[in-house]
Amino acid sequence: MDRPNLDELLEATAEFLERELLPTVGDPRLRFQLLVALNALGIARRELALGEALRQEEAAELEALLSHGGDREALLKELAWRIRQGQAPEATSAFLKAHVRRKLLLANPKYLERYP
Amino acid sequence: MREILQAALEELFGPGEILALRRLPGGASKEAWALDYQTGKEALPLFLRRAGGGVIYAGTLPLAQEFRLLQIAHAHGVRVPRPLHYFPDLEGREAFLMERLEGESIGARIVRRPEYAGVRERLPEAMAQELAAIHAIPLSEVGFLPFPSQPPWQEALDLAYRDLDALEEPHPALEWGLRWLSQNPPPPRLPVLVHGDFRIGNLLVTLEELVAVLDWEFAHIGDPREDLAWPLVRAWRFGEDGKRLGGIGEVGPFLERYNALTGRGIAEGELFWWEVLGNVRWGLGALKQARRHLKGEERSVELAVLGRLAAEMEYEILDLLERHG
Repeated sequence: MDRPNLDELLEATAEFLERELLPTVGDPRLRFQLLVALNALGIARRELALGEALRQEEAAELEALLSHGGDREALLKELAWRIRQGQAPEATSAFLKAHVRRKLLLANPKYLERYP
Repeated sequence: MREILQAALEELFGPGEILALRRLPGGASKEAWALDYQTGKEALPLFLRRAGGGVIYAGTLPLAQEFRLLQIAHAHGVRVPRPLHYFPDLEGREAFLMERLEGESIGARIVRRPEYAGVRERLPEAMAQELAAIHAIPLSEVGFLPFPSQPPWQEALDLAYRDLDALEEPHPALEWGLRWLSQNPPPPRLPVLVHGDFRIGNLLVTLEELVAVLDWEFAHIGDPREDLAWPLVRAWRFGEDGKRLGGIGEVGPFLERYNALTGRGIAEGELFWWEVLGNVRWGLGALKQARRHLKGEERSVELAVLGRLAAEMEYEILDLLERHG
């Protein structure tokens, strides 16, 4: 595709919303929603930058934990079911910490800094 | 709508005039309106809560019951806006009228703004006092609420599993929390009337004091520790993570005051189970809110993003259980 690429399009949109629109919005509810929308764009851009690497890391760790391969969603479902049945693999706790950390690296990386 | 309101207001306060009737921004499942009623020299500030046109948020009380609860709580000295009139049919939907109190209910402001520093110091004990009063309401007066057929903790877990399954998306971290909860059930406590959403953000606060406990739509018969632990959930600390009670104070003085008033002798450690449950519940709540957007029940970027932020509660659950050992 021609430039701007996907990230550059999102970046241009976020810049417009933040620099030009936000200072003009006085209504507190709309201001809040606008900040949330900017946050959503931030998540999308982080997913664009890091998503593929995190998905690969996740797949590798899931396969190691469950000792077999498969579709990521199906493996996560299997792990969820095993936890519910009380048959979680030994290393589940450590996997879960890394699994949720990966989600937060996209959704809200600053949140992770709140845990010393 | 004006005519029906006018008739009710005349009956309550005598002849007068409705001024500045306006819809306040808010969710689609419940409408909020503000109005003033001018009688003689006085303009009475009023608040109208009306059912919305959209899909009702499951698990919330009908407005008729919320109104009755406010009446009962008010009669028992709980700080609530005085409920004034219930309308079974206000242009096709139920609604009720209550007084409109002045104060701040935006949690982040109460927790962070310097002008609230004074009231923040008093809040832990004030919160304990309100909870003690709510939990002292005789169950015989709230017979319209269903009495749990099993222990409240079991009821809460069953509901959480139903909510989780309805998402049709695997959440192993929530499963991990729920598994621990079901394997470590809390010792029993006598059931009480539980507010169900007692946290900073549902309290109306002035610079001096706690003015009112708001948002009774999740009230039910349950375990008193549920209300005591809900304001400890990290998401309700608005970034002030070190202050475990809602970002404004410590658990100790809060619980001490509650125990002094109720004689229940609840130990701080007893709140842990309910704090973990609270995180599971709000994690599920965030995921459910995102589905309201995804299913088109209430399109909103704010609700959409909550689907991703549920991971914060998942991380907290793992951290709580890891440190608990």
